[in-house]
Amino acid sequence: MSDAVTLSLAEPPVHALVADCIAADRLAGLDAKQIAQLPVVHGGRPGALGDFFKVRGGRSSVVRIEGDLPQVEAIGASMAGGELTIDGSVGRDVGIAMSGGRIDVRGHAGDNAGGARAGAARGMTGGEIIVRGNVGDEAGARMRRGILAVTGDGGRGTGIGMIAGTVVVLGQAGPGAGRFLKRGSIVALGPMDRPATFRYACTYRPPHVGLLLRYLRGHAGVPIADRYVVGRYARYAGDLAELGKGEILQWAGE
Amino acid sequence: MKINGVAIADTFAEAFTMRVARIVITGRTAKWAREAAIKLTGFATSVIGCKCEAGIERELTPAETPDERPGISVLFFTMDKQSLPEQLIVRLGQTVLTCPTTACFDGLPDAPDRLAVGRALRVFGDGFQASKVIGGKRYWRLPVMEGEFLIEETFGMLKGVGGGNFLILADDADAALAAAEAAVDAMTSLPGVILPFPGGVVRSGSKVGSTRYKNMVATTNDPFDPTLRASTQSQLPEGVNSVLEIVLDGTDAPSIEAAMRTGITAACRRGVNTITAANFGGKLGPHHFHLRKILA
Repeated sequence: MSDAVTLSLAEPPVHALVADCIAADRLAGLDAKQIAQLPVVHGGRPGALGDFFKVRGGRSSVVRIEGDLPQVEAIGASMAGGELTIDGSVGRDVGIAMSGGRIDVRGHAGDNAGGARAGAARGMTGGEIIVRGNVGDEAGARMRRGILAVTGDGGRGTGIGMIAGTVVVLGQAGPGAGRFLKRGSIVALGPMDRPATFRYACTYRPPHVGLLLRYLRGHAGVPIADRYVVGRYARYAGDLAELGKGEILQWAGE
Repeated sequence: MKINGVAIADTFAEAFTMRVARIVITGRTAKWAREAAIKLTGFATSVIGCKCEAGIERELTPAETPDERPGISVLFFTMDKQSLPEQLIVRLGQTVLTCPTTACFDGLPDAPDRLAVGRALRVFGDGFQASKVIGGKRYWRLPVMEGEFLIEETFGMLKGVGGGNFLILADDADAALAAAEAAVDAMTSLPGVILPFPGGVVRSGSKVGSTRYKNMVATTNDPFDPTLRASTQSQLPEGVNSVLEIVLDGTDAPSIEAAMRTGITAACRRGVNTITAANFGGKLGPHHFHLRKILA
């Protein structure tokens, strides 16, 4: 057993590399050799994780991935616990259907971060994803529970079809954010285009937002200025074309 | 044994096991956190009549509270597991929920026994309530006219100790009160302890049952009533004309001991004749606080 499992990108993939075998809780029970043998799909062909990554350590739920991985998809899929840090950008589907633990992306993330598997009704059902950069389209799609925090901008349809949970976007949330929201919160610290099916409720200081932002700042090291933590937020209830019990909370100043 | 010329009786305070919860109330200012705490702990002096005992443990700085606002820590005691959540639900719902700007958090996060108090109170939201899980804890957001009330879903419950006490036997009422005030000042804000009575002081110490009224659970502690010296089996030394009692509840026995040591030492001052303690022959509770051992 080691303090952490480290995966260093040794052979950058030429095509999309589906590496949904990488999840902190799954690697916790495996040694380095077993981890290297985990299956991946490269350009539609089967392969092994060890073909692309050098593996150090084993039997730890703390996992670090070194390298820029925009071609690598589905890292942290269905992860249920542990800590997974990616020192660089990742491709689409990071943390899809995740249910626990924390994924920390020190770069950008592709489409459908924390979203649902194709055809599935639910995306993330727990845990936390921190993206210290931008995310692609439909981040947090159909989220049922959990937290997705994006320090950069969100793509189109951020939080689309959320059932519950929280998405925080420090930058600009893309068009269509929150569309088809049933419950759940989209906390927008920057500007965003709200769907027409959200209705303004009030401007206030939501106590849970302060608590959440303090948590992200204190426990995940997300740089959030005090003006957001103690600030006022305009509450828009929606999506009124759906259940309408969700909300967009848009920062409205100190 | 004497401290500052005050005799320390060779006896013990007898205390019993209770159930305790610690409630952290925060507010926009310390004033509003305190307002809620005062209402929450009102009419909570003794389980005999109030069904619970509660008091302010200490003030909390913003750095000590979950939402980094000024706060108050309250300890809440009942005799059994069932009545603690009942009392908390009723009281938090009528005092903290109603108080402007406040939020309510669990102060015993490591306690394995959990009371679903916030979960019960959520229904005030009439279906408009929402929950959030932050850092593994679930919070309920209740819409209220002011905005939103935030309360943690569950609160921890521990076995605590209730009924720690000591009696100040003084030359007159003024000296008794001054000594009691000094003791309370010294014990205020000690961790893990509350003094549930008004100002931390009891003038109407009681004995178990009644010599005359069958349905009375507790009646006046006549052996320590100076006005009854001539008509009962008084335990008051010569020259004692007034007695006040300090009652303490704590999260554990060491907290009570530490507070009693501090309080008794502060109470040993001019005009005080003897410090003693109330017990029931060791039959009531498993916790015995021997005054001389504590002060040794």
